[in-house]
Order: sequence, then structure tokens, then C-alpha cells
Amino acid sequence: MGSVQPKIKSKVRCVDGEVGEVAHVIADPLSLDVSHIVVRANGTERQVPVSAIGAVRDDAVQLTCNVAQFSGFPELEREDYVSSKEVEIPHLEDRIRVEPGEVLVPLPVLEKNCARRSFFAGFIKVIGALIGLPLVWPVLRFIMKPMYVPYDNHWIKIGNISKIKTDDVGVQYIFKKSFKDSVLEREEDKNHWLVKASPETLKKIYRHGDITFYDEKGAVVWVNNQTVPYVAFSGKCPHLGCGYKWRSHKTRGQVFLCPCHLSIYDATGMVLDGPAPRSLDVLPIKVAASGDIEIIDVEYKAGKKEQVRIA
Amino acid sequence: MNAIFQKVYDFVDERIGLKTLEAKLMNEPIKGGSRWAYVFGSCLLFIFIMQAITGMLLMFYYIPSADHAYASTQFIIHEVDYGWFILSYHFWGSSAMVVMVFAHMSQVFLWGAYKKPREMIWLVGLVLFVIVMAFGFTGYLLPWDQRAYWATTVGVEIMDKTPIVGDFLARFLKGGPTPGQMTLSRFFVIHVMILPAALMGLAGLHLFFFRSAGPAGPFRGTTEELKAKTDFFFPRQVWKDIVAMAAVFMIICTLAFIEPVQLLEQATPDPGEYHPEPEWYFLFLFQMLRWKIFSGEFGQFLGAIAIPGLFLLLLAALPFIDRSPERNIFKRPIALLSWTVVMIGIVVLTVSAILNREFLD
Repeated sequence: MGSVQPKIKSKVRCVDGEVGEVAHVIADPLSLDVSHIVVRANGTERQVPVSAIGAVRDDAVQLTCNVAQFSGFPELEREDYVSSKEVEIPHLEDRIRVEPGEVLVPLPVLEKNCARRSFFAGFIKVIGALIGLPLVWPVLRFIMKPMYVPYDNHWIKIGNISKIKTDDVGVQYIFKKSFKDSVLEREEDKNHWLVKASPETLKKIYRHGDITFYDEKGAVVWVNNQTVPYVAFSGKCPHLGCGYKWRSHKTRGQVFLCPCHLSIYDATGMVLDGPAPRSLDVLPIKVAASGDIEIIDVEYKAGKKEQVRIA
Repeated sequence: MNAIFQKVYDFVDERIGLKTLEAKLMNEPIKGGSRWAYVFGSCLLFIFIMQAITGMLLMFYYIPSADHAYASTQFIIHEVDYGWFILSYHFWGSSAMVVMVFAHMSQVFLWGAYKKPREMIWLVGLVLFVIVMAFGFTGYLLPWDQRAYWATTVGVEIMDKTPIVGDFLARFLKGGPTPGQMTLSRFFVIHVMILPAALMGLAGLHLFFFRSAGPAGPFRGTTEELKAKTDFFFPRQVWKDIVAMAAVFMIICTLAFIEPVQLLEQATPDPGEYHPEPEWYFLFLFQMLRWKIFSGEFGQFLGAIAIPGLFLLLLAALPFIDRSPERNIFKRPIALLSWTVVMIGIVVLTVSAILNREFLD
């Protein structure tokens, strides 16, 4: 009887008279055949097996039983069925079409009155969490490995003061710095700016007293004081970290100018114009009797009013 | 030959319902009919697929290490057959992607297509917009030239200004306190793995939501007029889409030919004579940060984080604030005005950033 395709609302007739109309069609989820029709009669819906169908015509279904036998068919337990729209059964709709209306598919026996559904749902979440949560910390640590390395407090030789001819003029010192990233060791050019400060400039730079440098624990690493007339400014612009230059400005004369966002600083490192939130950063400096300059390559976070050391 | 093809087709169809699938994909009724204004989404998909293909090709030769990234990119440009073309296509494709995203978002905005019931499509679309910008940002570090290095340095310093998570985010992206190999590795992974996966998943979701809610159609016309002009996605819209894709393809190829990628000097923490500048589509933000009102620590937070962040939030909240069902842009003066102001603002800022170049030389 696989080809039975009764229409919804078709009249249903027993051998001795009409009993009602087709309300639903029930499909067998394995064979994909119609297994029952559901007949609505006097307010009740009864399940009639296809074996009781004699013939299916355009607008009517002829049953082989009589009205009394029809009343013996079980009533539809709607909660034991799901609509074919709510269940994924491949090719079901290629085989059975009822328009308009829905094909019902019996719920598997194990799904009926499954009291533990919410328990299972909770259980699945707990197991998922048991797999996921222990991974959070290792994964976080894994990606964080290089993020918080200790400061580099080594003195690096960057050149000789003989390069500086005039007071209060920015002179660029490019030097090699070695880096080690995981196993990759390489040298890279870095640059800082030196100013041989005239007494007034020096006074301005040291207006708050000696300049002290700290390590991450707050211990003093070095103190710059006015006895050294050379001042090293970090090559990193304190606005957003670009590289600035010493160049002549139309109205302000010789200044440090950052080409990125146009911050302008004078020879003392003070902001003359532009968006920078603080003066240029002074680096720890040592000048040997031979004139060799050594610095600690201290790096501060850009964009902060206060200096926040990061390297 | 045809018979064999038909047999194979039938074999597949019997098992997976190919015919139905095809029909469902192609037979999408477009209210009011196909239009050239609807090609932007399809074009974005096309550009993305081409970016994925050219990107995969570039990875055959590119070496993501601070020592070799620059040299291997030069190798692609100068030694590998058609390497210059593949790289230049990828480069211009990224610009095309940004232009197309703006066009797509503008169309949806002006047509009022973000309104109920399409809020979810709009929200996912906004995330996709952020992903596209992130693609651009992570992509141009990879050649490891001066532009790459400085754009990244500044970009990451900007993210550092995000409240609470900024420091972590910046260190996470840099892979340390300062930019270096770890930065390159991280940007590489983000660019070639994380973002493509995110984009593919979300673009799928975007399309799924789009198909669930259906196209919005024109903002004018009675139901009868719209019904009379309605056609399916295939063939008229598909035809318009493919013509637009071909045009996009031709434009990108032309740009790749007449303006192939040229690297600047290898990246160093000394910019030398180079005046750092981001890619053109970030220029407006870059220029904005030069303004006096965005100076100082708070100004910078305002310009770099708060304003772009609030703008994105505003866009996300848009379908929930603007709840009037009116979609006609000529009856939505505030929407039209805002769009015009934002567009003019971006153009003016971009142009003034370009004009400022001369002042620096």
C-alpha cells in the first residue's frame, strides 16, 4: 500500500456510511510508506491502519470496515508523534506528500516520556565544560608566553660624542640591537636621539631633579644627573610610537618633528605642538672618558601622560 | 558526453537532492525585480574568494619570519613567474574589498534594509565589516617593509588605549612588549587562519539569515507594482552579479598592471626618510588623530577608541533605535544627512591626509 496518498480533508467512508475526514497521515520512518491515516470523526481522531483502506479516490477514502469496527480503532495520541517538519528523515517528502497538512511520524519508543531529557541536556553541557575548561588556562598561558618578558637593563654602546658638533641640536644615533624571539636570533637597527645640552637646556630637562630609572620591582636601575651634559631621547615618539626626526620647521626653527601625527618637541624634549601627551622620553646614559656613549634601551608605552615602562 | 553527464547528475541527485538544492538556491524571488544596486554582496563574495585563492598562492613562497618575510616577498615580486601579478592582485583586492564593503553597507543603509525583520543580517554584517578591516590591518604587516612596520606599531599602540583590556590586547598582538618576530607570527596566523575561518563562518551565517528573512526589495512601490516586477535570483540578478564581478575583476587586474606592488625598505625601528602612513582606508582615522582636540592621553582615547567604538556601537544599535518601518531614504532626513556627513567626513579627512604629505617633504 506504499502508493496510498490520501488527501487531507478527504471524506472517509466505511462500508455502511461516512464517518469523517482525513486529518493527518502517519508515515513509517523506516519504509517511508504511509502506515496509518488519522480520521477525524465527531471530535475524536482515530488511527486507521492502511490495511483497512480499500481504495483511495480523488476526494474520498473507502475503508473495508464498518462504522462499528471503525469505532474500535485507537484514538490518536498526538504527543507520541512529531510532524515531519520537526524531524530530519531524508527523502520522506519525496515519497509522501499531503497537501495541505502534515505528515506525522511516530516518536521512537525510547523518546516517549523520556523523563531524563533535561538531565541529558545538562549532562552534555557538563561534559562539554569538562573538556573545554581545563584547556582555557593552558591555552592562555601558551599564547601569553612572550607577552610579559622582563625589562632589558643592559647597557648598549650606541656611538661616540665626537659626532655632536653643536649644542642643543638633535643628533641621530643608529645602532644594532640583538633580539631573541623564541629561537630566532637577529640584529635590528634602532635609533635614539642625542642632544648636547647647553646649561639652560640642561636645566629645563632636569627641572624636576635627577631622572631615575626603575626595574619592574621598583628598584633603582640608574640615575641620570646634570653632571652629564648629554641627553638621550628614546627614538619612539611618545604620541603613538612612530619615529620622529630633527628638522627645521617654518615658524619654530629646529625642532623634533614626528611625521605621523605631527607632534613637535623642542631640544629639551618638551611638546611645542601636536597631539603628544608628554615630553620625549629620556634614556639612562653613560658617557665614557673616551666619549663612547652607552644607554639602556628603556621603552615606555606611547600615548600616556605618565611614563609606563614596558621594556 | 551529455548522456554520461546526465547519468552522473541523476546519480548525485537521487542521493542528495541536487535538483531541489539548485532550485532553492536559484529560485529566490526578488521583490520588485533584479537590480544593479543588489550586486555588492555577491561582489564581496567574489572578491573574498579571489583573495583566498591569491592568498594561498602567495603562501607557497612567503616565509613568515622577520629575517625572511621581506626577502621572500621580494622573491615573489621579482623571481616567481607572475608573482608580481598575484601579489598585486591580492593587494588591490584588499582595497576593492574595503570599497565594496562601504558600498554594500551604504546600499543597505540607504535602502533601510537593516530594519525589522533583517536586524540579525545587519549585526552579522557589522562583524564581517570589522573582520574585513582586521584583514587589511594584519595583511600589510606581512611584507615586513617600512609601511608594514610603522602601521602596525601605531595601530597596536592605538589598541593599547582600549580601557581595561588594552594592555593585554596590545601585548597579545605584539607577542611581547615591543614589535618583532612574535608580532609577525601572530599577525600571520590571524591573517591566514583565524580571520578566514571567522569570515567564512559568518558570511555563511549572513547568507543564511538573508535567505531566512528574504531580500528587502525596493523602498518604493505598491505591492502590486512590486509583484509585477518580481523575478527570481536566476537568471536576471545572477547575470547582473556576474557582470559586476567581471567589472571588479577587470578593475583589480588593471590596477595590478599599472600600479603593481612595490615594497619600501625593509622594516627597521628607524624610519629613516620614510614618513609612516597607514593604508589609504585608514588614512581618515590617522588624519583625525593629528587634530588638536584628540591630543593628550584623553584626546587620544577619544579619537582612537571612543569615537570609532561608539560609531560601531551606534551602527549595531541602529535597527533597534530606528524602528519606524519607513524605508524610503528621501523620507528619512536624519539617516540621509548622517550618511552624507560620515561620507564627506571620511573623504575630507583622507584628502587632507594626502595633502599633508607635501607639507612633510
